[in-house]
Amino acid sequence: MTNALLTGANASTEVPLKRRLRRAERTRQAKALALVLPLLLFLLFTFAGPIAGMLWRSVEDWEVRQVLPQTVAALASWDGKDLPDEKAYAALASDILAARAAGTIAIAAKRLNYALNGFRTILTSTARNLKAVPEPGTAKETLGKINPAWRERATWTTIKDAGGPITGFYLLAALDLTRNADGAIVAAPPDQAIYRDIFLRTFLISLGVTVLCLILGFPVAYLLATLPPGKSNLLMIFVLLPFWTSLLVRTCAWIVLLQSKGVVNDSLLWLGFIDAPLRLIYNRFGVCVAMTHVLLPFMILPLYSSMKAISPAYMRAAASLGAPPLTAFLRIYLPQTLPGIGAGSLLVFILALGYYITPALVGGAADQMISYFIALYTTETANWGLASALGAVLLLATVLLALVYGKLVQGQQVTGGMKN
Amino acid sequence: MEAGTVMPAPALVRFSGIQKTYDGEHLVVKNLDLDIRKGEFITLLGPSGSGKTTTLMMLAGFEVPTHGEIYLSERPIKNVPPHRRDIGMVFQNYALFPHLTIAENIAFPLSVRKSSKAETQERVSAALRMIKMESLAHRRPGQLSGGQQQRVALARALVFNPQLVLMDEPLGALDKRLREQMQLEIKQLHETMGITIVYVTHDQSEALTMSDRIAVFNDGIVQQIDRPDALYEHPVNSFVAHFIGENNVLAGTVETVERDYCRVALAGGGTVAARAINVSGAGASTSLSVRPERVAIVPNGSSGEGPNRLPARVQNTIYLGDHALAVLDVADNAEFMVKLQPGAHHSLKPGESVFITFRPEDCLALDPV
Amino acid sequence: MSDNSSLRTPSQRIAWAATVVVSTLVFIFLMAPILAIMPLSFSSGSYLTYPLPGFSLRWYDDFISSPRWMNSLKNSMIIGIASTLLSMVLGTTAALGLAQWKSRFKPLVLAFVLSPVVVPGVITAVGLYFFFAPIGLTGSYLGLILAHTALATPFVVITVGATLQSFDTNLARAAASLGASPLQAFRRVILPLILPGLASGALFAFATSFDEVVIVLFMAGPEQRTLPREMFSGIRENISPTITAAAVILTTISVILLATLEALRRRNERLKGSGG
Repeated sequence: MTNALLTGANASTEVPLKRRLRRAERTRQAKALALVLPLLLFLLFTFAGPIAGMLWRSVEDWEVRQVLPQTVAALASWDGKDLPDEKAYAALASDILAARAAGTIAIAAKRLNYALNGFRTILTSTARNLKAVPEPGTAKETLGKINPAWRERATWTTIKDAGGPITGFYLLAALDLTRNADGAIVAAPPDQAIYRDIFLRTFLISLGVTVLCLILGFPVAYLLATLPPGKSNLLMIFVLLPFWTSLLVRTCAWIVLLQSKGVVNDSLLWLGFIDAPLRLIYNRFGVCVAMTHVLLPFMILPLYSSMKAISPAYMRAAASLGAPPLTAFLRIYLPQTLPGIGAGSLLVFILALGYYITPALVGGAADQMISYFIALYTTETANWGLASALGAVLLLATVLLALVYGKLVQGQQVTGGMKN
Repeated sequence: MEAGTVMPAPALVRFSGIQKTYDGEHLVVKNLDLDIRKGEFITLLGPSGSGKTTTLMMLAGFEVPTHGEIYLSERPIKNVPPHRRDIGMVFQNYALFPHLTIAENIAFPLSVRKSSKAETQERVSAALRMIKMESLAHRRPGQLSGGQQQRVALARALVFNPQLVLMDEPLGALDKRLREQMQLEIKQLHETMGITIVYVTHDQSEALTMSDRIAVFNDGIVQQIDRPDALYEHPVNSFVAHFIGENNVLAGTVETVERDYCRVALAGGGTVAARAINVSGAGASTSLSVRPERVAIVPNGSSGEGPNRLPARVQNTIYLGDHALAVLDVADNAEFMVKLQPGAHHSLKPGESVFITFRPEDCLALDPV
Repeated sequence: MSDNSSLRTPSQRIAWAATVVVSTLVFIFLMAPILAIMPLSFSSGSYLTYPLPGFSLRWYDDFISSPRWMNSLKNSMIIGIASTLLSMVLGTTAALGLAQWKSRFKPLVLAFVLSPVVVPGVITAVGLYFFFAPIGLTGSYLGLILAHTALATPFVVITVGATLQSFDTNLARAAASLGASPLQAFRRVILPLILPGLASGALFAFATSFDEVVIVLFMAGPEQRTLPREMFSGIRENISPTITAAAVILTTISVILLATLEALRRRNERLKGSGG
């Protein structure tokens, strides 16, 4: 009886205590989260929001829907097999007249022209020649007379496809694909199929730069990790100083060095290795040299820290167990640097994929990477849908590689590899 | 030197009904009542997770008791923040401020109390003299050895004459020789300065060397508080017997109890007489505790019937310099240790059958483990 | 392997020599552009070729007397300092919160906070261009400051976070036990110890903004052109030696930042010491 009372009393005092402690812990966590929240909100506004907006633009299709609303509505029920009925023609004529009055024809014309070359002319000529709303029942005939393109099914399919509100058109175009009149996904016509080449070029330049960085970076990282701290700290300046120098300064310097009357060509001429200046800049060579220079520290630093973490005792142990130096290096040292090699290479590759400034300044027309075209379509031609679609593809590649990188670096931290 | 052991001084610190839980389910400290007298060196001893460090942290003010109250000089301090408690503390890894010099570290408690420049300087140099480190006053902690850092931490905790000094495993990071030297130095400081020290350690030999009294913690409960010799000679339960000093355990069942003594039938055969310390009565199971130095080995066949005479088989012998140990197989215990005079181990051969004998007053019947 | 004395066999010596030779060449490659451009800025001629016809400071004079260049330097400073301050406030509070926050979503939040570093500049720039144009933030200082803050804050979170992680909480407790009030403990113990970390974060943030050009290309009006932006145009149009003067000025600023960072790192390492 007494026992029961005691435990009862205990239980009634302990349960609120437990809840109180939990509540205190939750409050603490909430306070901690509240400190992170301003940054999260800020990044939502200045980073995540804008990128989400860009992704939305890659699938959004508003122009035709806004300029030719009645036509889009009339085509909704069209099966696309034959020409649309009189109702659709009448809607189009009415839309065109309204758009001409509002001055918005060009917006739709630009969008439709992306999908079907020459559509701009079709629409503007129709707008110019359509005097008034056609009599009921004569819209088809009137429009057909103004421009025979209105008697073709493809013209109408193009309008229907561009009717929005969302479209795969830009994303397909970014991959050199399009939809034919029957709606099937087919290869884009050769004059528009340029993006796969550009992605491939971006990939190859990035890969080349990564390999160059690895070849040049490995011995340097090894040297820095092996030398006594005094010497290696001094030599580290040669890595860190370029690392901290402005990208523009370095790019500018490479132009000075590599131009036809530049230091490199002058030296080679003076030494008699060549008779005429070599073309070292505004081509693939210049891009690779300048990008390797910019990205090399990103390879050396992770390699260095992974090598620094390898105890010399391993190599001594290998030697004492009878391994010759080369065998010990290949079988004991090298495998332990693999995480560093992986991290450095991925980092360099990810950064190289998005490069814009360096190729834009030291590359020729055939050396521009995907970022250049994204910028071009955004600011010059204002084909924002395509710019966004190319951006979406680049972003996807970057995010996937960054996830792999994150896993790699995380694993390394467990084994004590990356110690910054 | 105050004779704290003769006349009980008034309690400087009183823990009253202290409970502590972090999750509301599991009590780290269960109902702690403990008085610490002025001028005494008390050690909280126990394995990790026993609640000793939590107790110290509650006294320092870095943890708040869930229930109960702590009194310092008879004033409740549960709601007094650490910096107003006037308690000096030496931390496990010293916690010297790396950006301040040794002198600045020692001056810190004085300067936050707005002592005058002259007084600060005088007391800092006195403290540096005390730890014999005048010449290193302008070094930084990173430039000192572990033992030197330890001394600075000590000087810093003492320089403002706190009512009480807490030490949280202060010697844990030092090597054995240095640790023993520092034990003596701390003990000396305690005796010359007459300060009250609450010391936390998991090292029983350290506790035995330094303390006036030891509180043995296990599982959130103080198992026993007593002078070191009393803990060793009169442990109240198996945990204390096992935790303090070397100890042989024999399992058995109580047959009869007669005043302070009882007869115990060993699980491995045979019966012995033991002091009944912590047994409930006849028929209860018990653990017998016998110290290795209280056991004698009698060669096989020799005469003499002791009250506690058990057959044993020699496993091996271990030479330890100042003494030697014989490892025997006794009853159900295959690692029964007996302390020998150095040299005596030569006469024992592994596999040899012998008898052991010990006095009933050296064999304690305690709670079963 | 810690020094050359342990190199025993001839083949090991050859491998080591090869490492030294290759590394030397790479160091030359790394330093060449900076070394090549410096003397040109002091040339008295107007061609970017060697040998220099003579020494002069005319291109620095040109830089200083050009409102275009000076305005761009001023813009870089304004935007750099403002975004450093903003990113320090946001990044430090976030690092403090992240240090205490325990949740299985933490890696996700951390990845999000750090993502501006990884996402290609053009993508961020295009997104911001679309997003900021309708609300009037393109062609404004505010828009550029906000964008640069987004790019710079991850560096602050990383540096300050690492500093907080390595901070021994026992030091704060020790200060309290020695009688320091929370304010005194913060001012005299915590702040001096985390200050180098905060300063490194600020330097990284400033360098990030100071070097950024892609976002500026998209978002800056003629009024907000920064120094790198002006150099971009200069390189595109025709490289005049004034650009080399600008480059040397930029590099000098970089060297100062790097030297400060290194000094902070050394100080920190010295404080950590050996025995502590």
